[in-house]
Amino acid sequence: MTEKHNPGVQAGPKQPDQGSSITADPRQYRSVSIQESVSHDLEQQPPARRTFLTAMIAGLATAFTAITSSTLLKTGSAVAKSNGENGTNSKRKQYGMVIDSRRCIGCHSCTVACKSEFDVPLGVNRSWVEYVEKGTYPYVSRSFLPRLCNHCSEPPCVPVCPTNATYKREQDGFVVVDQGLCIGCKYCIQACPYDARFLNPVTGWADKCDFCVHRVEKGLDPSCVNTCIGGARIFGDLTDLESEVSKLVAENQVTVLRREMGTFPNVYYIGADHTDELDRRRPEVKNVNIITHKKDKERK
Amino acid sequence: MEHELTWGMPVVLYLFLAGVGAGAVTVSGSVLLRGGDYSGGGFFKLARYGALIGPIPVILGTCLIIFELGRWDRAFNLFKVINLSPMSIGSWFLGLFIITSLLYAAAFLPSFLPRFEPLSKRLASVLHVLAWINVPLGIGVAVYTGILLGAMPSRPLWNSPILALLFLISALSTGVATILLARVFFKENITDSASEHHYHETGYMLTSADLLLIGFEILVIFLFIMFAHLTIGNLKYAMAIILPGGEMAGMFWFWVVIIGLVIPGLLEMVYVLPKMIYRSEFRVPRISEAVISLAVLAGGFMLRYVIVIAGQITGPMGI
Repeated sequence: MTEKHNPGVQAGPKQPDQGSSITADPRQYRSVSIQESVSHDLEQQPPARRTFLTAMIAGLATAFTAITSSTLLKTGSAVAKSNGENGTNSKRKQYGMVIDSRRCIGCHSCTVACKSEFDVPLGVNRSWVEYVEKGTYPYVSRSFLPRLCNHCSEPPCVPVCPTNATYKREQDGFVVVDQGLCIGCKYCIQACPYDARFLNPVTGWADKCDFCVHRVEKGLDPSCVNTCIGGARIFGDLTDLESEVSKLVAENQVTVLRREMGTFPNVYYIGADHTDELDRRRPEVKNVNIITHKKDKERK
Repeated sequence: MEHELTWGMPVVLYLFLAGVGAGAVTVSGSVLLRGGDYSGGGFFKLARYGALIGPIPVILGTCLIIFELGRWDRAFNLFKVINLSPMSIGSWFLGLFIITSLLYAAAFLPSFLPRFEPLSKRLASVLHVLAWINVPLGIGVAVYTGILLGAMPSRPLWNSPILALLFLISALSTGVATILLARVFFKENITDSASEHHYHETGYMLTSADLLLIGFEILVIFLFIMFAHLTIGNLKYAMAIILPGGEMAGMFWFWVVIIGLVIPGLLEMVYVLPKMIYRSEFRVPRISEAVISLAVLAGGFMLRYVIVIAGQITGPMGI
């Protein structure tokens, strides 16, 4: 799998520098936190809070996997994936995105590109752009917050799935839905703190952004990145410290959405305005208006 | 305000119906084991009501929830794997419970016909075993409905360990109410005073048990609300929706607290306390028993309704 193919604007020259040239503090800090965020995948261990229960029903689970192995292993459940068909740790990646809100002009071309890439039905979106307006004239601002699945390192949607249909791919960190297994129980839709999932009204299964896994596997950028006219969306491997996303994360003040949820999102924002409608109660930002992708839908 | 709901009425109804059914079977099994008579006594008849009615709402609710799935044709996928999702464990519990509660109900059937008396005598030990199986399974089904909702940090109102306990107590209370209601409907004409005394004795056991459950439920609701209110952030913001001034406050306080807890609790006190304190005769008019059980059932339903809806229209604060 190749690295970045970034359109113009942000693309700097890519040199396979030695690690010794990295001396700046922010980057060192960043490299540590990347290691942390993917450590679960690297060590092939379930998170600690699940270990106890896992041990308890491990025997039972193994029995069931054995019974259903023929269908299950092929379709790629989390259990099957953890049996390690993907070889060594060095191949493990964690793809992520940096969204430079300063470069976003709110044109919705990412929304449209995503819609056409996957033929997403009306009324639902895998990726969308929110408008954040605040202040009272003349002291006002309007900024844009492109949204998509955060492909979290601790995805809350995965442990609640009763059929192992949704899982985090170990080789590249994509959080995906196996549409052959999903029964449409909507548990993962409830569990996502970013409202990134929806029930596909046509097919009846849970649907979400999958970082254009079919394009990335062929070495292309996701459709929304490819189409972004301002170069606001930058995509790449966060475990590769020479990738553009890693450099941007290291060199800028980045934020993630709802950091306090402990999900370790892999979509970073530069210059994002995290103002929410709840901030109306604050004296300095009385006037806030959030326009999201659906008129009748509040930001959740 | 118009809100988009991921889980709608079928889920609310399922949580209520599964609670009622699991509660009725659990209470029935407990009464049978506690009463110790397996052929024809007053406790046996109480247990029989619970056992025969219990599976019906559970199966009804399960059908509702299956058709709520986006792909109900794939519902069997739930039983192809077992993982740590509360829904996965819950569906195994539910599947097992439906089978064992149906067996339990079937074991009671011969007792209706006098000519099957030898058979029903032999079934006594079967009933004993099935009651021991059904009580923990019924508690499991009732508790899991609360764990199902409580497993998600993205829904702060639900994400509380006490929600499962609240649902369990409510399930047991509505289970008792179901048995009470069945007693009211199918009351036989009692002629001699001895059996009438016995009838009221069993009623006393049910009613006083329900009073205790209602007391515990009020306590759990108090803790649920108080701890959410005394914190800052997501939980307090979510809980504000059912506190005075919130969008669902009227519904919660009127239907759940007053209709579902205070009125039946006070009514039961009127009848239970004299017997408890002065050892006087326990007699409840049928109309009061009907009012108590209907109020408890309505409160149980509204509890699920308010919790399910309020949990979904509130989320984490900020972005």
